[in-house]
Amino acid sequence: MEEFEIISDILKGDKEKFRFIVEKYQQMVFRTCMGFVHDKDDADDLTQEVFIKAYQSLPKFKMESAFSTWLYRISVNASLNKIRKTSGRSFFQRLGSVFSGEDKNDPLFSASDMEDPENILIRQEHFHWLQKALDSLPGKQRTAIILSKYDDLPQKEIAEIMDITEGAVEALLQRAKKNLRTRLSDSDSPFVVK
Amino acid sequence: MNCQLCQKNLDAYQEGRLPSDMMTQVESHLETCDSCKRIYNAQLLAGRVIITEKETDANPFLVTRVMAMIENMENTGHEKESLRIRLLRPALVTVSLAAAVFFGIMLGNLSRPARNADKIPVELALINDASLESVDILSNE
Repeated sequence: MEEFEIISDILKGDKEKFRFIVEKYQQMVFRTCMGFVHDKDDADDLTQEVFIKAYQSLPKFKMESAFSTWLYRISVNASLNKIRKTSGRSFFQRLGSVFSGEDKNDPLFSASDMEDPENILIRQEHFHWLQKALDSLPGKQRTAIILSKYDDLPQKEIAEIMDITEGAVEALLQRAKKNLRTRLSDSDSPFVVK
Repeated sequence: MNCQLCQKNLDAYQEGRLPSDMMTQVESHLETCDSCKRIYNAQLLAGRVIITEKETDANPFLVTRVMAMIENMENTGHEKESLRIRLLRPALVTVSLAAAVFFGIMLGNLSRPARNADKIPVELALINDASLESVDILSNE
C-alpha cells in the first residue's frame, strides 16, 4: 500500500493504520534522537513524542515532500527542544548516573563477561567526550552532522530537511567537522593516544 | 603533503573515498606527522562511538506504546466531549426554563396596562355622571 494512501486513510479516521507508519520509521526517528540526546531512555521517550506529534500534525502534512523528510523535521525540532529544556541536566545527572551505576544498564556500556573493566571505562570516557564535543556545536552544525553521520543522509536530503541550500549544508558540515576535530584533538581529550 | 591538506582529506581517507595516489599520500603523511596522526586516531574512535549509538535498537514495545497513547488521547477527547455535553445539557435546560419564565412575565406585563385602561380612576368616577339619572327625567315626573 502506498504511503500517501495510508496517510489518507488515517486522516479519514482509520487511526490503526498509523501503526504501519510507526513500524516503518521507528528506527529512523530513534537514531536521529539518539544522535542528539545520547541516552537510550531519553531517545525512546523522544521517539514516542515525535510520533504523537506527527499523528496530531498529520492534517498539516501537505504531501508535497516525502513523509520521511517531514518526520525528520519533527524529530530534529523535538530533539533540539528537549536539549534546550534539559541543558542544565547533563552534568549533574550524568555524574549521578555514573555513581549510581545506571550507565551500566545502557547498551552502550554493557559489556560481555569477558570484557576488561578498564575497556568499559575507556569507552565511557570516549562516549562522554564525543557527546560534549557534539553538544558544543551550534544547533545547525549539530543537526547537519547528526543527519549526515547518524542517518547517513545525502547533502541534498539534509538541505531539504533543514530548508537550506546544499551549499549551506556543505559549509555547515565542513565547519562542524573542523570544530569536532579541534575538540577531539585537544590535549586533554581521551581520544588522543599519548 | 602538508597538514592542512591531510586533515581536509581525513574523512574521505577514513571512508576509502580517495583516489589511490591520494590514499598513499595521506597514509605516508600520517606515518610521519604526529599531530595529524592524533587527529586521525581521535576521528577513528569517535566514529566507533557513533557506530555504537547508531546500532542501538529502539524499544521493541514502542509501536504498542504509541498506539496505546493515541487510543488514550482519542478516548480522552471523546470523554471530554461527553463531559461537556453532560454539563451543558442541564445548563441549557435551566437557561431555557428561566428564559421562558422571563418572557412569560414580560408578556403578562405587556397585557396588564390594557386591562387597567378599562378601569375608571376614582377621580374620574366622581365627575362621570353618565350613570346618574337625568334631571329631565326627574322633572318630567
